[in-house]
Amino acid sequence: MACCNSALTVSNLCFGYPDQPDVLQSVNLEVKPGDRLGIIGNNGCGKTTLFLLLSGILTPDVGHIELMGQPVVPGQFRPEVGMVFQNPDDQLISASVWEDVAFGLENLGFTPEQIDRRVAEALTLTGTQDLAQRPPHHLSGGEKRMVAIAGVIAMRPQVVIYDEPSANLDLRARRRLICFLQQAPDTMVIASHDLEFVLEVCDRTVLMNDGTLIADAPPRDLLSNTALMQAHGLEVPYSLRTVSTSQSAL
Amino acid sequence: MKLALDEHAGLDSPLHRWAAPYKIVGLGLLMLAFASIRDLRLLLPMLSIAGLVYIASRLPARVLLTRLRYPGLFLVSVIVALPLLSGETVLWQWGWLTLRQEGVQAMGLIVGRFLSILTLSVVLLGTTPFVTLVRAFRSLGLPAILADMLLLTYRYLFDLADTLAQMQQAMRLRGFGRRQRPARVKFSLWRTLNRLAALAGTLLVRSYEQSERVYKAMQLRGYGARLGKGRSDRPQGTAFDWWGVVIALISALSLVIAEALLNWQR
Repeated sequence: MACCNSALTVSNLCFGYPDQPDVLQSVNLEVKPGDRLGIIGNNGCGKTTLFLLLSGILTPDVGHIELMGQPVVPGQFRPEVGMVFQNPDDQLISASVWEDVAFGLENLGFTPEQIDRRVAEALTLTGTQDLAQRPPHHLSGGEKRMVAIAGVIAMRPQVVIYDEPSANLDLRARRRLICFLQQAPDTMVIASHDLEFVLEVCDRTVLMNDGTLIADAPPRDLLSNTALMQAHGLEVPYSLRTVSTSQSAL
Repeated sequence: MKLALDEHAGLDSPLHRWAAPYKIVGLGLLMLAFASIRDLRLLLPMLSIAGLVYIASRLPARVLLTRLRYPGLFLVSVIVALPLLSGETVLWQWGWLTLRQEGVQAMGLIVGRFLSILTLSVVLLGTTPFVTLVRAFRSLGLPAILADMLLLTYRYLFDLADTLAQMQQAMRLRGFGRRQRPARVKFSLWRTLNRLAALAGTLLVRSYEQSERVYKAMQLRGYGARLGKGRSDRPQGTAFDWWGVVIALISALSLVIAEALLNWQR
């Protein structure tokens, strides 16, 4: 699929839950292969809903989504896209880490040898090989997160969606995750409230508010724009405040 | 709340080493044979077999005693009621209290069979990790959907227990269920029940919402869209596993044949 110019294309996407105002309104977005797109915005602005639409879990009211040049059909399994959920407990369904990472591969129909090889690779890549035989409910929050990521990347999706990946992580686990994501070659879409995290991992940022895309720019440019950030209830991250102040002074 | 289903599954014994599908078949045959015993003379051999299996499993005695705690209530009622109420041949009488032969025999049979079958069940569950057991049942023909449901229940039981413990703790920290209340706070059973119902309701709603998220996560990893054959569930046993089944089969058949012979002699 390397032939596609666009990994993900969203055109005029609208969605609303029954008896509620529209969560997404005319969203247009294009993600190129290799992009690391960060999506920021307040709680309830539609980030998770957008992710569920991108991965074909929800059906759009209006609009069109294409993944690697092919339309996303709701309910259809698309192994090209993987999603790491906000709460790893929603995702770690098996009785041991090894089995959990193997779950998706078994569904993809790989042979036992291929499964074993890919599981070992994914665990090594995420640094969780020592946890292979542990039950998921015995892991720490950071370990659970890395195992959830291993379960997704073992399937080698071309686009990986991360919903609040740094939520509830301690500093060491967060740093490990940042290093891992910085080295990961996949196209990724990351929703996060952790703006420093976005700054370190992403090369492009989109600001969402009330279901619409407000701005799309490189992280440093967007996150240091005090007026824009404040207008949408966000704060300039601490590491950019001096930049932001000097820009205002200019 | 502590869930310790696999507490002793990591021990080392012949029963632990016996592959789960073969163990299910072997112990299942023995249980069927035990259930078919009608002659009191076979009680001792049956209890001996169950005892030997338990000793071979190297499970601590307290495991069996703990598992007997609740079924024990049923046993006590059988031990007390049957000898006094069932049958016509009087063995001993003291006032209105009458001990009857048929009742004593029936009690012996029921208690013996119950204890033997329960002992084997404890051995089966105690020497096999739950997940392995479900997989083994699946390899023996349990529908995949039931196996998946059992495995997911096992996985999320721990989460549910944690959530419940946290919620209870949070309630206690806000004064719920305190023994020493300020004088102005009067105990109200209705209010307490209301709070407990709300706790149960919240837990139910949370579990329901989580189950929806879990299903979405599973769908995204191809659940229900199996694209190939995947891993085979067919059990592959060693000579040791087969010998286990053969020994169990011989023991079970011996009991059944002995039962038939004793019946025929009568």
